[in-house]
Amino acid sequence: MKKTLVVAMTAAFAAGVAAEENPTRGAAGFHWDSLDKFDDMDLSGQTVTVAGPWLAPENAIFNAIVSHFEAATGADVQYSGSDSFEQQIRIDLQAGSPPNLAIFPQPGLAADMASQNLLVPLSSDLRSDVLNNYAAGQSWVDLGTYADASGKDNFYGVFFRVDLKSLVWYSPDNFADYGYEVPETMEELIALSDKMVADGQTPWCIGLGSGAATGWPATDWVEDMMLRLNTPAVYDQWVSHEIPFNDPRVVEAIELFGQFAKNDDYVQGGAQAVGTTDFRESPNGLFDIPPGCFMHRQASFIPAFFPEGTVVGEDVDFFYLPAFESKNLGNPVLGAGTVVTMPKENPAARALMEYLTTPLAHEIWMINGGFLTPHTGVNNDLFANDTLRRQAEILQNADTFRFDGSDLMPGGIGAGAFWTGMVDYVSGDSAEDVADSIEQAWENL
Amino acid sequence: MAQQIITAVIAIALAIGLSALFFLGSNYLLDRFLSSDSLSGDAARMKRDNLRESIRPWIFVGPAVVLLLVYLVYPVFASLWYSLLDRNANEFVGLANYAWAFQNPNFLVAVRNNVLWLIFVPTLATGFGLLIAYMTDRLWWGKLARTLVFLPMAISFVGASVIWKFIYDYRGSGEEQIGLLNALVVALGGEPVTWIAVPFWNNFLLMVILVWIQTGFAMVILGAAIRGVPEDTLEAAIIEGANQFSIFFKIVIPQIFGTVVVVWTTITILVLKIFDIVFAMTNGQWDTNVLANFMYDQLFRAGDIGKGSAIAIVIMIAVTPVMLYNIRRARADEQ
Repeated sequence: MKKTLVVAMTAAFAAGVAAEENPTRGAAGFHWDSLDKFDDMDLSGQTVTVAGPWLAPENAIFNAIVSHFEAATGADVQYSGSDSFEQQIRIDLQAGSPPNLAIFPQPGLAADMASQNLLVPLSSDLRSDVLNNYAAGQSWVDLGTYADASGKDNFYGVFFRVDLKSLVWYSPDNFADYGYEVPETMEELIALSDKMVADGQTPWCIGLGSGAATGWPATDWVEDMMLRLNTPAVYDQWVSHEIPFNDPRVVEAIELFGQFAKNDDYVQGGAQAVGTTDFRESPNGLFDIPPGCFMHRQASFIPAFFPEGTVVGEDVDFFYLPAFESKNLGNPVLGAGTVVTMPKENPAARALMEYLTTPLAHEIWMINGGFLTPHTGVNNDLFANDTLRRQAEILQNADTFRFDGSDLMPGGIGAGAFWTGMVDYVSGDSAEDVADSIEQAWENL
Repeated sequence: MAQQIITAVIAIALAIGLSALFFLGSNYLLDRFLSSDSLSGDAARMKRDNLRESIRPWIFVGPAVVLLLVYLVYPVFASLWYSLLDRNANEFVGLANYAWAFQNPNFLVAVRNNVLWLIFVPTLATGFGLLIAYMTDRLWWGKLARTLVFLPMAISFVGASVIWKFIYDYRGSGEEQIGLLNALVVALGGEPVTWIAVPFWNNFLLMVILVWIQTGFAMVILGAAIRGVPEDTLEAAIIEGANQFSIFFKIVIPQIFGTVVVVWTTITILVLKIFDIVFAMTNGQWDTNVLANFMYDQLFRAGDIGKGSAIAIVIMIAVTPVMLYNIRRARADEQ
């Protein structure tokens, strides 16, 4: 017993070590010139503590990225990940024991911390780096700019690692077997879903379960629907609470989500399964034989939860969640990402921030997979596979890019009332009632 | 790894060494500087002795009192103060946070659920524990049965929640049910149910988990008490022709009543702090929120220090009567 445990642990350890790829300096294809300016810096003896949401295997990839920074400058970078990062960082910052760098998955939370002067504004050089090097740079600068306690806007955060959300995953084999075609418009997508129902099939798999975060997958649906029913300006007003949450346009977006999720014929397990099915298990229906469902709307990270051995591009593929042809809103894309901020300044922390905006830092994660970037200076050939390259193209070709709205809303809404409201909605409440109660919660903040 | 172990060992040695140094050293200093040997006259000597001996207890209690002040009393008053401030603890808002709480439907649901938990969990856990302890006492396989009932005690609340999540799991009708409860329902010809999403009743499904964990605790304590019931009272009852029911209710229970109350109140205090099970099972969705989870949501998710502290104070006020009752009983037992 004990022996097998040791063997298993050693194997797991070895697997963990082998998991991340870290090129040696000079390997072809990478922008090693990114390191040149760091070679001149002598930061030995300085420590940079970094706190973020990434656990294994991502933490190993991050460590691989910073290993080159450490080698060039002599600084010591200590990353620690937490699966309840949002709660942890709030405590650390308010208790006055912040890490040097904090990587927020929710810009709303970063903005909240900035408004209490708990983050250090970044240099204008860094700001122009983002402006010039990121595709749609202005939108990324805007997403990293928050007001401080006195109401003055400063640039606080650099986005590093982006998720693409407006994706529908499907099995090309199943589509071929039944003669279905990838829809180009929302009208076609709804017609296709109806056709599947008529054929006696279940078109969608939807699951909102996510432990303490149950409900968030539905907020992504509603945000995607907002962008497909309304102009980006309306979306921005909704996110910043310039229009109330129970505005008829928001209710309409919730109902459009309900057209998919609250329809027993449309979802595997029926509407009542939506709220209790774990989002990590919800794509499983795509791989059942016969298929439990044909389509699954989820962000670019979801392949991590596909059954082992699934090859994206063969066993499963994705298409862009299309927009209504009749609405003429172009091709809006919803995304998210992690933003690196600096709660506690030191020269090594500033240098590391700078390093994270270099192409090299992005490229090392690109070869490890599970990484999209709006950085235009990177060598696109380094993406781990065609899937990621195609997703990066969707990101680059979008007419409109908007950040996950619930992550921009205040925590009590975007990570509270909105989640709960969506669970209530799929459990039977009406869209108006749910929108009213979220609006009320927002007013009471 | 080796470095951490060495650091830990050094820290432990340092802590113990410094404590010993403090106690022995201050004791020595007290004896030395307040010594009565050099004084002449019995009255002066007596006075000095009294002074010394009245200081001595404070040397030993002192550090504990200081720690208590820093880690218990200060946070209570800090929470009380924060509960009167706004979300970032900047501005004084009076009782607005409390007013907000008592007008918030979610808070009222949490209060209702806490009351339900308080009524049912201690009652059921103590009742089942008592019954099992009594009934398995004279069975040859009683030890095995008690071991099995006690086992859940060793599982963390979150671990237990994971186990029960599988019992309540739901799959659409027609699919293979991996949840035990739904598998039974389907086998009996029924339709599967999304158990944890059925408002009101789902509270009881969550309580079952805590009862399942705590019954073992009640059983062990009460079992020991039952074995302490004097044999001659039982024999006398049997000779007088009492049946098993009368023996249990009229002879055994009155004699172990003190223990029953201790078990009951211990579980009651545990229930007032209940958080993990709700957090892991439903996170308060579908009307299953309890006060501790509501507090967590306000404090760490909404980031509202004032409202979170107000709820913390409400929880503290709710716990206080039970604690006082427990302390008074303990005092009464000592006398």
